[in-house]
Amino acid sequence: MKRLHSICWAIAALSLLISCDSESEKPASPPAAESKVFVSNYPLAYFARRLSADPGQIYLPEINGDPAFWQPTAEDISTVQQCNPLILNGATYEKWLNTVTVPRRRIVDTSSSFQDQWINIENEVTHQHGPKGPHSHNGIVFTTWLDLSQAARQAQSLADALGEKNPLTNSDLPNQLKNLISDLDGLNAALKKLTNNKPQLQLVASHPVYQYFARAYNLDIQAVLWEPDVYPEEQQWTELEKILTTHPAQWMIWEGPPLEKSVQRLKKMGLGSVVFDPCANQPDSGDFLSIMQQNIKNLRPVFAQ
Amino acid sequence: MIKAIGNSFFIAGRYLLYHKGRSLILIIALAIILFVPVFLNIIVSQSRKQLSSRADDTPLILGAPGSSLDLAMSNLYFVAKQPASITYQDAIDIEQSGLATAIPLHTGFRVGDFRIVGTTLDYFEHRQLNIKDGRLMAMLGEAVVGASAARRLNCSAGDSLVSTPENFIDIAGQYPLKMKVTGVLAATGTADDEAVFVDLRTSWVIAGLGHGHQDLSKNKDPSITLKSDDKNTVTANAKLITYIEITAKNLASFHFHGDDSGFPISSAILVPKDEKSKALLLGRYQNPSQSQTRQLIRPPLIMQELIDAIFRIKTVLDVVVIVVAISTALTILLVFILSLRLRARELTTIFRLGCGRLTTAGFVIAELFLIAAASLILAALLITLTNHWGHTLLIQMLQER
Repeated sequence: MKRLHSICWAIAALSLLISCDSESEKPASPPAAESKVFVSNYPLAYFARRLSADPGQIYLPEINGDPAFWQPTAEDISTVQQCNPLILNGATYEKWLNTVTVPRRRIVDTSSSFQDQWINIENEVTHQHGPKGPHSHNGIVFTTWLDLSQAARQAQSLADALGEKNPLTNSDLPNQLKNLISDLDGLNAALKKLTNNKPQLQLVASHPVYQYFARAYNLDIQAVLWEPDVYPEEQQWTELEKILTTHPAQWMIWEGPPLEKSVQRLKKMGLGSVVFDPCANQPDSGDFLSIMQQNIKNLRPVFAQ
Repeated sequence: MIKAIGNSFFIAGRYLLYHKGRSLILIIALAIILFVPVFLNIIVSQSRKQLSSRADDTPLILGAPGSSLDLAMSNLYFVAKQPASITYQDAIDIEQSGLATAIPLHTGFRVGDFRIVGTTLDYFEHRQLNIKDGRLMAMLGEAVVGASAARRLNCSAGDSLVSTPENFIDIAGQYPLKMKVTGVLAATGTADDEAVFVDLRTSWVIAGLGHGHQDLSKNKDPSITLKSDDKNTVTANAKLITYIEITAKNLASFHFHGDDSGFPISSAILVPKDEKSKALLLGRYQNPSQSQTRQLIRPPLIMQELIDAIFRIKTVLDVVVIVVAISTALTILLVFILSLRLRARELTTIFRLGCGRLTTAGFVIAELFLIAAASLILAALLITLTNHWGHTLLIQMLQER
């Protein structure tokens, strides 16, 4: 009898255990609501902050150097995954995009509206391995905002995205956009007026980032691959001399303040130095508007009659 | 009276325990008769529930022409028979049409027995999949593992998994890719528990469409270079080191050859914006020019056809079960009658000891009752187990091994 009793208890306990459903856990609550707006470079961050009711919600990661060559960590991308929308410069600016997992449906490509006007770089290094055909890493020029009319179109795309997707948007968005576009148009007009003094002026750029700038303002720019804070090697000076034989420029445009040593040597070659900061990353002081105004001011001696 | 019944059950219990083997066989035989019809009903109803619920959550599937059932099963359950590929451009076109959200799936590779599903983060939102441990994949080469797959692969966040080469003989084929597990999904009781999820681009890396290797422009070993021309074209030989694991150090060297819009996907889940968009999409892919290169299927309809087929089979099985049950019941009855004959001397002794015929019959009825009760308990246990594990069993049956 005692044994039968034990068996009955064992059966009851087993039934109880089985009835506890351990396998099919119900899905947890949906992901936390996305509130931050990701922007991939400073010009977009500046536009977004001017358009948004809550500028604090604009997320531009702290990036050391050019945001186009950002190498995000998994933690950075986990933060980006929580943002909505993801405002990108486009035109292949975000080199990191191919190696990360982000919600692609939330992406807003601000330069796609003028995709037919993107400039393609050619003659970059091509390589081949195995029996497959050669391939290169040539690409699209991505400093689209240096044509201020394109920057205005990017601001328009950004405003559309904020209006459609983000609850941060305030009712004042149309006015904010109008003011921003007005400022950008002002910069564009000022540059056009300045560069009209010397159409097709030949210039040398320290870096190949001024293609849209040259096209928009009717300039003839050839670039070397120099860094403002690094004194060029002799081979680089030789390359510059070679360029100058067919492209007699009198000014070099720098992305940032060059070394005095470089300025002096350029001066001896008959080249003046002027800074036109593309302002791709958060500046130490000022903002996009003031930096661009300073850039125009810097260019005045170049186009002086 | 109660005491007499109690005594009958005591005698019957002692008798059954004395003849353990025979009693056990009778109990099991009777339990099977009771269990099998219920088991069939449970499995069929769970199949219907399982097949229809997942299909109902998948309004449309876009894929290559061919068997619509294969396409549905491949997309919904990641079964091994892979449909022909379509291109990523097909998914982009749907997105750009604004009619639906397209969720691409690339299910061409495995880790052991488990499918690698290359997809986008939209898949996790659509299927309401949540991370139980760790985080979603963020970088190329990272993987998130389904609950059941994690348990059977014995892996958790921080571990690594290696993709299984499709062909061991093809030494020039794709390299296996070592993937970092970043998270394990909460169990859902669906095919997602049995999969390893990666970013779509990671599946393209496994397919050999993207890779990372040492920088040729910095190469100082002349034996790697086959030729180098004036057009900055460098041709390397097989000595060039191609990475089989994506790490923070070599991540930047990974690149894809060609336009990703032309890269393959197995199929795409389409989630139309509304009924009108759904009708427009269906109309678009019924167009003869489109239907020759792509097919758009409605999984609920495909699955309903499969369920109908299962029900037709079940009807046949029901008849078989009834015939077997009657035959088994008759056999048990025969065994019982024969055992009574064998027990004739024992029953006569009981009678001579002073027990009436009614009391003797009471012993036999109590034996029958105890056997029936034990069979019922055993059948109930088996039914509970089936209820509990049936869906897991089904999912495993659906996954091709």
